[in-house]
Amino acid sequence: MMKKTRIVIAAMLLLTLTASMLSGCGGGAGTTVTDTSTETSGEVVWWGWTPGSPTNEEYIAEFNKEYPNIKVTWKQTSIDDYNAAIRPALANNQGVDAFEVSAGSANGGIEVFGGSAVDLTDAVKAALGEDYKTKLNEDSITTMTVNGQLKGLGVGTVYSGNIWINQDLFDKYGLQPPTNYEEWVAVCRTFEENGLGGFVQGAGQGAFNIDTFHAIVDNVSPGTFTKAARGEVEWTDPAIVKSLEIWKKMFDDGIMQVGALGLQQYPDANNLFMSQQYAMVMMGSWYTSNTLPATMKTAIEAASSTAEPFTMIPINFPDVAGTGNVGSMFGDLDYATAVSATSANLKAATTFAVWLGTSQSGQQIIADSLNVIPSLKSATPNWDVVKLVNPEKQNDAIKAYVENAMQTKNNPRFAAINADMNQAMMDILAGVGGGTITPADGAAQLAQAKADSE
Amino acid sequence: MFEVRGLPGKIGLQLLLLIMTIPYAIPLVQMIVGSLGGIGFLNYKAVWDTGVVPTYFRNSVIISVGVIALVYVFSMSAGFGFAKLHVFGKEIFFWMILIAMTLPEVILLSPLFVTFQKLRMFDTLFAVIFPIAALQLPFTILLARNFDEGIPNEIMEAGKIDGANIWQVFLHIILPLTKPIASSIIVLTLINSWNAYLMPLLFLQSSTMQTVTLLPQYFQGEFTNDQTKILASAVITAIPEVIVYICMQKNFEKGMSAGALK
Amino acid sequence: MGIGKGNKSTRVNGLPWILPAFIFVAVIIYYSIFYTLNLSTLDWNGLDPVQTRVGLDNYKKAFGDWVFWKALQNTLIFFVCTFTVQNFLGFLFAAILHTEVKLATLHKCLIFIPTILAPATMAPVFRLLFSPQGMLQDILNFFNAGITVDWLARPVPALIVLMVVTVWQYTGMSFILYHAAMSQIDKEMLEAARLDGAGNIRTLASIVWPNCMGTTVSLAMLGVIGALKTFDIPYLITVGGPNHATEFLGTYIYRQGIRQSHLGYAAALSVILLVAAIGGAILTNKASKRGGK
Repeated sequence: MMKKTRIVIAAMLLLTLTASMLSGCGGGAGTTVTDTSTETSGEVVWWGWTPGSPTNEEYIAEFNKEYPNIKVTWKQTSIDDYNAAIRPALANNQGVDAFEVSAGSANGGIEVFGGSAVDLTDAVKAALGEDYKTKLNEDSITTMTVNGQLKGLGVGTVYSGNIWINQDLFDKYGLQPPTNYEEWVAVCRTFEENGLGGFVQGAGQGAFNIDTFHAIVDNVSPGTFTKAARGEVEWTDPAIVKSLEIWKKMFDDGIMQVGALGLQQYPDANNLFMSQQYAMVMMGSWYTSNTLPATMKTAIEAASSTAEPFTMIPINFPDVAGTGNVGSMFGDLDYATAVSATSANLKAATTFAVWLGTSQSGQQIIADSLNVIPSLKSATPNWDVVKLVNPEKQNDAIKAYVENAMQTKNNPRFAAINADMNQAMMDILAGVGGGTITPADGAAQLAQAKADSE
Repeated sequence: MFEVRGLPGKIGLQLLLLIMTIPYAIPLVQMIVGSLGGIGFLNYKAVWDTGVVPTYFRNSVIISVGVIALVYVFSMSAGFGFAKLHVFGKEIFFWMILIAMTLPEVILLSPLFVTFQKLRMFDTLFAVIFPIAALQLPFTILLARNFDEGIPNEIMEAGKIDGANIWQVFLHIILPLTKPIASSIIVLTLINSWNAYLMPLLFLQSSTMQTVTLLPQYFQGEFTNDQTKILASAVITAIPEVIVYICMQKNFEKGMSAGALK
Repeated sequence: MGIGKGNKSTRVNGLPWILPAFIFVAVIIYYSIFYTLNLSTLDWNGLDPVQTRVGLDNYKKAFGDWVFWKALQNTLIFFVCTFTVQNFLGFLFAAILHTEVKLATLHKCLIFIPTILAPATMAPVFRLLFSPQGMLQDILNFFNAGITVDWLARPVPALIVLMVVTVWQYTGMSFILYHAAMSQIDKEMLEAARLDGAGNIRTLASIVWPNCMGTTVSLAMLGVIGALKTFDIPYLITVGGPNHATEFLGTYIYRQGIRQSHLGYAAALSVILLVAAIGGAILTNKASKRGGK
């Protein structure tokens, strides 16, 4: 009697377990994925990290004006979680149709994720013709080509190398934007004497340190950064050592605010600039969208401030080494759209990727959002429609800035650095800035990391 | 534990307690103040306006309930078996389960990912419920076993003399007695399942399958990071847990004291 | 931990009672362990169809990797410090809250609520709190302390901040367990001690503390395992920086496996971590048995 009961109980427990397992198993789809969509209808799940809701939904709304029967759903993760989240999604056969990839070494790198994407060459030829290469930004093709296949369609490019200043604060204290190292130190000091901060950097978030460092190297010796990244000169080059020394000096002389290495560029430094507690920040062309009143208002609110939008102007990175080499910008494709090779909505997803990256209407909305510089050369911001916070002071500066950025040639931001090198550079810059690594040792370690990562 | 006589001593002790507790409250205050920055209560409205809050909550509730149910059934039965019944090689089984306690979540990610893919469990709530329950079980089985060992055998014997079989003894004698430890297990399991972040992030994909811990993702883009709304989502996420804890606080403490870890 | 005390069990076969739980845990956990063992001998990015078998190279790489040693060192320091402070505070709270005080429940909740909250939600709060722009700096400025809160920017202070956050978060756990243990102490024993003229401190040290030894041992074991598993707090607050100064095994595994796509290397690190955790737990248990008797 007892024995039977026990067996019954055991059987019941096991049954519950198996049943729950099985019901879990029932949730999935079949093994082979067949494309159920057409060029004009389907359901596309679009993964990415940028530019972020609700802008992506605005792009989708614009897309739906032309393709009402393709339903696109935006799925956003934070930039840091993107690699972790997209990897299982891609290896699995469902849940992702179109996804953002980047040329860089940080997140969504094309080298790692391109293997899961289809070749879009034929699709782009169909859209723009055989001479598509002349109509698109060169970088958006070259950086997305892996083993001769076009794995993603570039949406837009970002550039860095400049500093943004709060012109209203500069005017208030009668200050001129710094053009060299001494002026930069002096301006920072004046702001501090007035109870504000001068320059702010979230040096705890390594990627942005690479930008600042790159700008220093471009000032010390134009082109050396890219050459070192490509292995054409050694990282122990005197220009690199000199740049690391300047980088270190910026911490010692108080250009870098106290505690810089403990803050993140996003959200911390961004918020401090947006809440007008600091007057200068090292941000690139993506920051241009903050010259639009609505975008800036949102950013200010996110920084816990209730103030009205202020006048923000891009200036050249100061001539910190006294060489006169200023105005350099470096950049690469911010993001491109790839189409998952195992998507059940492959045709519809391709339509979307092509529209966003190559169509006049798709690229115009990209241009007008001032977030990235569009890939399609014929799409430029429509200045009649785009209204800035302070047109009188900003219009000319922003136009010149965008044009200067577009002149950038052969000076990539992250595309020449692989993931391991990127990590090493972030570590070394933090170490040099914090004083635990000397500039000379730092350069030697960069060279070592370069050798190891080959 | 202290013997305090006279008013000055009492006030002194009360003050000491207050001073010691204040540091624990500061971050909580900063969290709430931060969530009200900028546009104040409109931050909460903005979180609500994403339109996903009810769905995310529903999923987190399902996951938590599922994990708690699994953990409850398995810990209670295994705790009883380990404490009161005869098992050949009992301690080997027990240690093999305990070793699992040392396993960090990170290690599970790759293997489980491959497995779930094969079993077509991807993007189902089971993909989150099972591993969280498995990671939780070693500790809760330990708690349940220790608690059950404190129950006198005579009570069970009395039941048996009345003609009850082992299943009835478990159901009618053991389970009612284990209510305190069950509360502790429920609270501890709730904390770990409600706060789960990596598993839902990696194993759940469709927008209808997300959990509350993923709410902040809405406010974190590449070039945007809205702290006020992230903190508002954090507050919203924490409220249910705090309420459950406060409701179960008395029983939770009783469970821990009646023999949790000795 | 009450292991090995079940000698009075009945003759009823308990296997069906423990087997379901055992199978459930074993299938998920042990499968993962064996999978990880296999993975640790590969060079693989997780998506590429090509997996290169490299034998023990990943392990060799780990032992020659300074970041790995830094992470181990951090774990050790972290465990010793957080264990001491957290349990001292938990013990003190428990002792005070066992005395008649006003608003005891409110205090209990305030101490335990940090344990409930997800580290993910608290990280931005702490980064702000421990920055020159945070509330702490305001308080220090108010007292003219002349201290700059740039702690997260400097290696050693950053590690200390992480320890403070961990203590903040888990004192509630220590408190609850000590509080539980104290309610089991024989009241007569305490009164006898008092009649002998022992003061509060004396009673705490000679009666209460020894009677809570079992709890301390359990907390030590949980602490070792917890320290080795540390991930959320450093990952979310300092991202292991500056320059790996606050790197832990958990964060390094995540960095290598997920961010850098070196799945094999991350698996090798995981195996080492697992061995360390089991070893640590067994050592603590043994030491306590020797010390406790």
